[in-house]
Amino acid sequence: VTTILVIDDDPALLRVLKIALGALGYDVIASPTGTKGISDAALATPDAVVLDLGLPDIDGVEVCRRLRQWSNAPVIVLSADATEDRKVEALDAGADDYITKPFGMKELSARLRVALRNRPAGRQGAEKDGEAQELDAGPLHLDLVHHEASIESKPVELTRREFAFLAFLARHQGRVCTHRMILEAVWGPRYANDSRYLREYAYRLRRKLGDEEGVFLRTRPGIGYQLVPPDPARTSQAEGRSEGTDA
Amino acid sequence: MEVTFRTLPLVRAYPPLRKTLLGCAAGLGVLALASLVMLAFRSHLSAATVGLVLVLPVIAAVIAGGVLAGLATVAASVLVYDLLFIPPYGSFTISQPENWVALTVYVVVMTLVSHLTSELRRAEAVADSRTAEAERLFMLSELLVGERPLSELLELIAATVHDALPVTSVVLLMPVGGSLAPVALAGDPLSEESLAAVVPAGGVLASLAGRQQGPGAGESTSNLVLSASGRPVGLLALVGMHPPLPRRDVLATFANHVALALERAQLREQAVRMTVLEEVDGLRRSLIGTVSHDLRTPLATIKTSSSALLDSDHPLRAGESRELLELIDSQTDRLTRLVSNLLDMSRIQSGQLVPRLVPIEARDLALEAVATLDPVSAARVRIDIPDDLPQLDVDHVFITEALLNLLENALRHAPPSTPVVLDASANGTSVTLRVTDQGPGIPPDEREHVFERAALRARTEPGGPQGGTGVGLTIVKAFVEAHGGTVRVEDASGGGARFCIDLPVATRKAPDRAAR
Repeated sequence: VTTILVIDDDPALLRVLKIALGALGYDVIASPTGTKGISDAALATPDAVVLDLGLPDIDGVEVCRRLRQWSNAPVIVLSADATEDRKVEALDAGADDYITKPFGMKELSARLRVALRNRPAGRQGAEKDGEAQELDAGPLHLDLVHHEASIESKPVELTRREFAFLAFLARHQGRVCTHRMILEAVWGPRYANDSRYLREYAYRLRRKLGDEEGVFLRTRPGIGYQLVPPDPARTSQAEGRSEGTDA
Repeated sequence: MEVTFRTLPLVRAYPPLRKTLLGCAAGLGVLALASLVMLAFRSHLSAATVGLVLVLPVIAAVIAGGVLAGLATVAASVLVYDLLFIPPYGSFTISQPENWVALTVYVVVMTLVSHLTSELRRAEAVADSRTAEAERLFMLSELLVGERPLSELLELIAATVHDALPVTSVVLLMPVGGSLAPVALAGDPLSEESLAAVVPAGGVLASLAGRQQGPGAGESTSNLVLSASGRPVGLLALVGMHPPLPRRDVLATFANHVALALERAQLREQAVRMTVLEEVDGLRRSLIGTVSHDLRTPLATIKTSSSALLDSDHPLRAGESRELLELIDSQTDRLTRLVSNLLDMSRIQSGQLVPRLVPIEARDLALEAVATLDPVSAARVRIDIPDDLPQLDVDHVFITEALLNLLENALRHAPPSTPVVLDASANGTSVTLRVTDQGPGIPPDEREHVFERAALRARTEPGGPQGGTGVGLTIVKAFVEAHGGTVRVEDASGGGARFCIDLPVATRKAPDRAAR
């Protein structure tokens, strides 16, 4: 059974998530504070964490940072703030994805599925960065040694930068990568704030990958990009639609 | 706006007539005196000696009256010299040739001396006026360097310019809403009419040369454009300028000094305004952020519950469905309360809503507030209010809400099993209601802001010990202050926080309560 740790200070939401996630077949551990959440994460080793950013004792971003020091479990951040800064901060601190309150259960379960499906592979890839020679993300195959890309076994011509951009997302597949993370890794630290490059490159990559609708290479407005390999068990269409509610 | 400088005559080449006449008088006086003295023993004097003595009247005339007086005195001296001191005495005839030489040398030398002496005097006068100008400029810059508010600086500029320049009045004009308007005046007060006349018409070249201001004004006005960094910052109107007129470059230097001082003061005011705006903006953003957070939290529960209830693929157990429905119900109430509190707060702050004051028992308010809490929370609250407390003169709706917000805040921040105490005491004309918890408390340096924005600060900045109080405390403050009361927070003896509200005691008794 998949275990999910929910950390939120609002008792009502905590109760709802326990019931609703339970109905989806997950085991739910509910923690009302950051301190309790961190110790629960250590004791119960959850498969994923749903973390509210506004906690009474420790700041949510800090909780995220501390969890990342010893846990690979994907973290989905809940934010009651419509602004992007806090979400970017949380993503930079190691969170995988975010949802703005209020949210529907379909949306949360879709995000949880993506995070649970891709996180272990993505994590491995990131850790073996130096050694890995090949990367797979759904239909996409990347040969990191020869800088060759293919989708559904058909070769795709990519420039050096396009390949680096795609390889970075593939290495962190399922995870929302902030503009800064991508720019620093692909263009270098000096370009950390030039997010206009990214839009252009994402547009070109989507055309080359036959992903004009942005279902595979997703734009997270104001935040960053996310490579989401299609779920073999479901149609990717449903997920694509639920995306719209969070923009 | 362009300024056209016309060269002003500064120190005149020739002094005015009156001064020349005075010089002539001085010269002739000295001449008469010297002649009288020498007449007594003219037989013992050689022509050269007389010539030397007669240098004196010329020098006196030049010093007192300038070159013209000097030359006039030279002429008079020559006549006296020839008539009285060159033999034969009493006639203009010159018998001895060496006396011709003496007289000629006298005339030539005295003419030269007149010119040289008057040049010397002129140079001295120029030096004096330059020194005076330098002193005035120094004074002006001294005065303008100080940090002063703009309005004070404007008055000071006008006054200083008035002291430094030979004018009857000085008007400082600055662009106000697209056109020039007088902002400061020094010297003789100007009539409404002449003040209006001082303002140059748009599109007309401002001129330094005197400008006749219509039939009524009578006096001429010179305009001095003040520009700093190539941008006009104002205009100095110098009314009734009279001699000695200041030099052109001095005026320009004056204008530059004043313009720089004005620009600096304007920039400083702008910087201050920007800082204030930024702070207000920050506060407003923080309030909007807090309100957004507080509205989204109950909405999150409602949306999550309803979407889970609607999901036919993952049916819930009967008990769970009921629980979700109850949560939707309670969170909708919470949301409704918050929305009406926020609306009431903004109505009170804008003056559209005034509390309806009715005498009421503090205990009734406390009971009403606790009754609104959910049963689990209500069980944690201990009410400790003495029976003999005077009645309060308040709007029970707002004060109940204020107490409720304080109780909820305390219940949220204190450990779940600890009690929250609501007590009260009377002190003279006011009653203090206190909500005390056993939570982490509020550090002294944050107590001042806790009612305004601690909420968001703690939420958006990592490590806020209070973790965000929401907009609740801001509502408490608004409601209590609308009654003329005060709110504050202090340390509780056990280490928690104690929120106090002081409210006025009723001066009359409610009839129904008194009868009870």
